[in-house]
Amino acid sequence: MSKLVQIFSSRRTWAWPYVLFMLLFVVLPLILVGYYALTDINGAFTLHNFAKFFGHSEAIHTFFYSLMIAFFNTALCLLIGYPAAYIMAMEDFKTPKVMAMLFILPMWINCLLRTVATVELFNMFGLPLGEGALLFGLCYDYLPFMIYPIYNTLQKMDTSLVEAAQDLGANRWQSFWKVIVPLSMPGVYSGIVMVFMPTVSTFAIAELLTHNNIKLFGSLIQDYITTTDLLNYGAVLSLVLLVIIGVTSFFGEKDAKEEGGLV
Amino acid sequence: MRMDRYTCKIILVFALCSLFFVPTISAQSNLTYTLKVGTTGEVKVLTEFPKEYQTEKININVQSTKYNVQGRDSLDFVFVNEPVVGLEAWGDSVYSYTDEADVRWTVWRNHKEVKNRSQRVLRQNAYSAFEQYVESATGKTSRGKGWVWWLFAGLALALALAMAITQVLQRQKEKELSSVEQEMLRRKRMGKRRHYGSQLYLWLLLLIIYSPIALIAVFSFTKSKILGNWTGFSMELYANLFTGKADAGLNSAIGYTVVIALVAALCSTILGTLAAIGIYNMRSRQRKMVTFLNSVPMINPDIITGISLFLLFVALGMSQGLATVCIAHVVFCTPYVVLSVLPRLSKMNPNTYEAALDLGATPAQALRMVMLPELWPGMLSGFVLALTLSVDDFGVTFFTKGSGGLETLSTFIYSDARKGGLTPELRPLFTIILLVMLTALIIINIRNTKNEEK
Repeated sequence: MSKLVQIFSSRRTWAWPYVLFMLLFVVLPLILVGYYALTDINGAFTLHNFAKFFGHSEAIHTFFYSLMIAFFNTALCLLIGYPAAYIMAMEDFKTPKVMAMLFILPMWINCLLRTVATVELFNMFGLPLGEGALLFGLCYDYLPFMIYPIYNTLQKMDTSLVEAAQDLGANRWQSFWKVIVPLSMPGVYSGIVMVFMPTVSTFAIAELLTHNNIKLFGSLIQDYITTTDLLNYGAVLSLVLLVIIGVTSFFGEKDAKEEGGLV
Repeated sequence: MRMDRYTCKIILVFALCSLFFVPTISAQSNLTYTLKVGTTGEVKVLTEFPKEYQTEKININVQSTKYNVQGRDSLDFVFVNEPVVGLEAWGDSVYSYTDEADVRWTVWRNHKEVKNRSQRVLRQNAYSAFEQYVESATGKTSRGKGWVWWLFAGLALALALAMAITQVLQRQKEKELSSVEQEMLRRKRMGKRRHYGSQLYLWLLLLIIYSPIALIAVFSFTKSKILGNWTGFSMELYANLFTGKADAGLNSAIGYTVVIALVAALCSTILGTLAAIGIYNMRSRQRKMVTFLNSVPMINPDIITGISLFLLFVALGMSQGLATVCIAHVVFCTPYVVLSVLPRLSKMNPNTYEAALDLGATPAQALRMVMLPELWPGMLSGFVLALTLSVDDFGVTFFTKGSGGLETLSTFIYSDARKGGLTPELRPLFTIILLVMLTALIIINIRNTKNEEK
């Protein structure tokens, strides 16, 4: 008994239930994705699923198309979001917190509902639902994820550095590109990661925005994984997505750290 | 309570967003469709969208005016495609409301082309084709697309003008100040300047971001079943929502969403707080590993978390339902709780807990009386975060809810949207949520300005 008390009074052990929980419900499921990808429907080891993926032109095509859409969406979010974050951080707003909150507030409205409303808006103005609508909707949904980290880093930035640059003779353009942009890079990286990863894996939003005429990789996975016979093939597709996510977050983290170190 | 400028601007943006829909509202509420029994006609309907523009002729045949919804006279249009012998046909009814008549019409098509995805497209296209037909038959128009844009541009211009005028007025005011006050103002603004062009950019962005939301909010005050049709002001949807007259699926979805969110938030707060205390007291290597483990569910996108848990439940042979959804929600909520409790721990004096133990408290007592009061704010913000994450989640719920008919709000909206329309009562529901959030925001705003004044 006294030993038990001792174990619990060392507070390190208090994380054990959580660690166990995470091992069971986070690590094991991820391993299972790999397991299902490497087995056939009867549980025997096979590489057939992978072979099928590389010969499956629809899947390959959808994969690269999704990457492209994610890339364009990220670029669009950066293009629109950076100026917004910059203005919010640099302008003399009386209550900058409220401005930032206003950009985040829509996230409390269910994103599917917002997507449906966007579709209705497009219908209202007679605009066609296609790639344009898809990009608009994705950008609309993920813009806050880009604005917020950039705004955070810009806000924490020491403005005297900009003044110093200007005192030393840099014009505004130079001080922007050579001081502000490099200093805001950690925010930009985490914004890119936070927009790119959900876009590449999005499924329902794309379906609603294009009346399921454009298929993204997420929808493809959803189709296969919910079909019992094709579950193993779905696992392969998820594994491919997982690799992309891993690579992105690895580079994102590394870059963010390096840039953070510079400051 | 003095309204400060920013509260005014927030309200202004919302007012502008709402104004956005004035043309559609006014145009539709003045429109009366009068088609007599026996009226026939032909419309072309796009059947595949948008790749191939195949059109199909559909005959309109007004069959009766007897169809009655809630005591209003209505017309019954039936679109009948030439029946093809040997093929099954399906009917798809859509209700379209005008202020004078409820119009019910049916689209018949060949069975072989029935697919989930084309159904909605067809319905949309048939709907607009029908509208065009009615417009040409009655000589009235319900759409004013052109001048909506003009109005939008005009409003933006008005906003810009208003900002410019306030700027000029402020300059005037500043000129009247004494030189000392002017200098003080200048110093206060050092490094920060006002650019009205860039502020305009922000407000325009907000206008675009909020217009779909305003669409939902505005059309929650009419009882039309289709989002975007204005049939006069009505609070019926709100009444339905609160008296439980709404769709049974929606009611159960709301119930499940609340239950799941509360259970998940509570479990993850307890689990996460304990974990945070544990992690905080770990040695660096152990700590790094657990922190990494903690970040995995946050990095994983919804679909991966959902699918991997789905595979786990399949492998374990667990039947999926309420329990699995709750577990899944705890999985992705807890890391955020851990992250919101950890900063409170590092602010806390680490010795107080040991001091309590030395003074004879049991660990449980020390936790309750020493740690909890300190950690309380972090736990609370973690709890709230977990609640919102759980309510908002779609991807994970979708894969773990099983096929037993369990729906949360998100999955309900999804299946609703796939079927082709939104349950109208969703509109007042989310308007209320938005209003609550806005009120909270305005309260924060007023508090901030008060603090500044102090």
